Amino acid sequence: MSFTRMMEGNEAAAWGVKLSRVEVIPVYPITPQTELISAIASMIASGEMKAQYIKVEGEHTAMAAAIGASAAGARVFTSSAAQGILYMEEALWMPPGMRLPIVMCIVNRALAPLGGLRPDHNDSLLQRDTGWIQLYCENSQEVLDTIIQAYRIGEDRRVYLPVAVCYDGYFVSATATPVTVPGQEEVDRFLPPYKHELYSLMPEDYRRPQWGTNIARARYEVQKAMERAKGVIEEVDRSYRASFGRGYDGLLEEYSCEDAEAVLITMGSMTGTARDVIDEMREEGRRIGLVKMRCFRPFPSEELREMAKRYHAIGVVDRNTSYGSAGGGIIALEIARALYPLDDRPLLLDFHVGLGGSDVTMNQIRYMADRVLEALDRGKVEEEVEWVELLDLGEVM
Amino acid sequence: MDKEKIFEEHYKRSLIRAGTACCPGCGGPLFWRMALEALGPKTIIYGDGPCAYCAIRNILVPTLGIHFSFVADGATGIAAALAAKGRDDITVVSSAGDGATADISFNKVSAAAERNENIIQICIDNEAYMNTGIQKSGLTPFGAWTTTTPRGKETPKKRIPMILAQHRVPYVATVSVAYPADLKAKIAKAKGIRGFKYIHSVIPCPTGWRFDPAKSVEVVRLGVQTWAWPLYEVENGILRLTVKPKARPIEEYLMAQGRFRHLTKEEIELIQREVDEERHRLLEYDGKSIIH
Repeated sequence: MSFTRMMEGNEAAAWGVKLSRVEVIPVYPITPQTELISAIASMIASGEMKAQYIKVEGEHTAMAAAIGASAAGARVFTSSAAQGILYMEEALWMPPGMRLPIVMCIVNRALAPLGGLRPDHNDSLLQRDTGWIQLYCENSQEVLDTIIQAYRIGEDRRVYLPVAVCYDGYFVSATATPVTVPGQEEVDRFLPPYKHELYSLMPEDYRRPQWGTNIARARYEVQKAMERAKGVIEEVDRSYRASFGRGYDGLLEEYSCEDAEAVLITMGSMTGTARDVIDEMREEGRRIGLVKMRCFRPFPSEELREMAKRYHAIGVVDRNTSYGSAGGGIIALEIARALYPLDDRPLLLDFHVGLGGSDVTMNQIRYMADRVLEALDRGKVEEEVEWVELLDLGEVM
Repeated sequence: MDKEKIFEEHYKRSLIRAGTACCPGCGGPLFWRMALEALGPKTIIYGDGPCAYCAIRNILVPTLGIHFSFVADGATGIAAALAAKGRDDITVVSSAGDGATADISFNKVSAAAERNENIIQICIDNEAYMNTGIQKSGLTPFGAWTTTTPRGKETPKKRIPMILAQHRVPYVATVSVAYPADLKAKIAKAKGIRGFKYIHSVIPCPTGWRFDPAKSVEVVRLGVQTWAWPLYEVENGILRLTVKPKARPIEEYLMAQGRFRHLTKEEIELIQREVDEERHRLLEYDGKSIIH
């Protein structure tokens, strides 16, 4: 039976794992992910969840054990954050090449040095080239729903790729919002048991993906799977909406974009704040909308190109850094590449904000939205990249 | 019956194909042929990269390998998946070389032992990083030449089997390809025990140890006969020497290999004293608990 109550993101994630009938869970604690693995441990200890829970000695082993278990045919979950993700990076390249649909929560946290315990997105974004699908969640409900979706996406025979479900530490992981937990039977109907058609380690049935010795061919297969994953992510989200009455518009969500001339693009928990600011500005008659980037890998290039035909100025909110890059943060760089083939490109502004987990405030969002509209009025971009937190916006922090 | 078919049937029985990419005289394929005889076809082998993998590639049971910084971890996951599926008919073996076991993945082996994972962890120890071209590892013996210890290694070999035994795991054993019956009996015993089992085999490496590949088995047999590599098992904490040869002088073992050729008389005497001390200690504890 489904029920609704207040729940922090980490607890919602634990429910997502339980409802997905995960069989093997190798994990290692790290703030702000720890409550997630404690919640799972409690569910197993009380007997309400059945899974092999492996308390490994580090994240490097957590991912390796996940690989072994997934290759041996089990549905697998793990999770980590920040330094933990960097420590497991050597292993992170394996599941995509091996086509293993492991699901991992990355509870975003800023990296050392000068990071804190609070979130920015460099830990997960750094893994953008590994071949993991990356989905970003705004609140507890989306975390639960996305984990269930992630198994169906990754285990789809057109995909067979691992999926990272990312959500901001504290702002999502430790903030209680109302969550509707679907019933087990409903989830069972949506998510069939895991059965890999290419891979089996069992002695009676031993087989593995055969790409030959051509490494380029093997990598091309992963690339094609990534491209097919776009359609699958949208399809699974639509199907989820049909089954549970909730959905997230697949790869990108357009919020309050009717007749907008410019948009801000956000990712993760800051989207909630941005919705309020955009609502206010729309009431003031400003023609700006909001686009929430839910899927970062595969990157929704075609969808953004479609949008770029309608919006003449785009402001990207980058909660990350890419020191010495071609210009600005990681999301802006990707968007610039996506829009490059267009004859008529929109103006592109990039903002670094919320670094090291500092709040992304309503004032800051209004400032960024103003700058985007200003650029639109002038027909040109004055400053391509701004570090918003270094500006005096008259806020009492 | 045509010749090819005879070979195929032979390989199917022995579970390892000929024609490995290993060097002539390598103890790796020899080890696996003996081990697989004891393990049987219902086995999954998780193995690290480099040298040991050259043999593992030719093994005919399911294998999965990542890299040599990944020891015991993937096997932990495989064992968990089997437990989740109620498959207790399959043996999970995790294999690693000396550098992986004693150095870069030492924490992994220790942690899997502490968790008492239901796997057989094997160390295939050729006493240096041979795949990269003979560099010193934590299991290179004192005095041995390698390309990173051109004047001989300054420190002794880590006693990994004893360290693992002190994790209080159900079973630890040392083996040698020069003693096939002993090797197979120990692996068969490990297969029948639940929990973490550790089997450590020093294997001959003509390329890195500098000797004639034809003398591989002779050289490692000398290792056992001189007590440089004593054969024992530790079952539930009780030590038992399984082979107790009359001790031959260590010089015979050392001088059979080019890697010790530079040793002085004093250095050989020092090694002899240490081997003697260890032999006396082992004989004293033979049949007794070593867990205090």
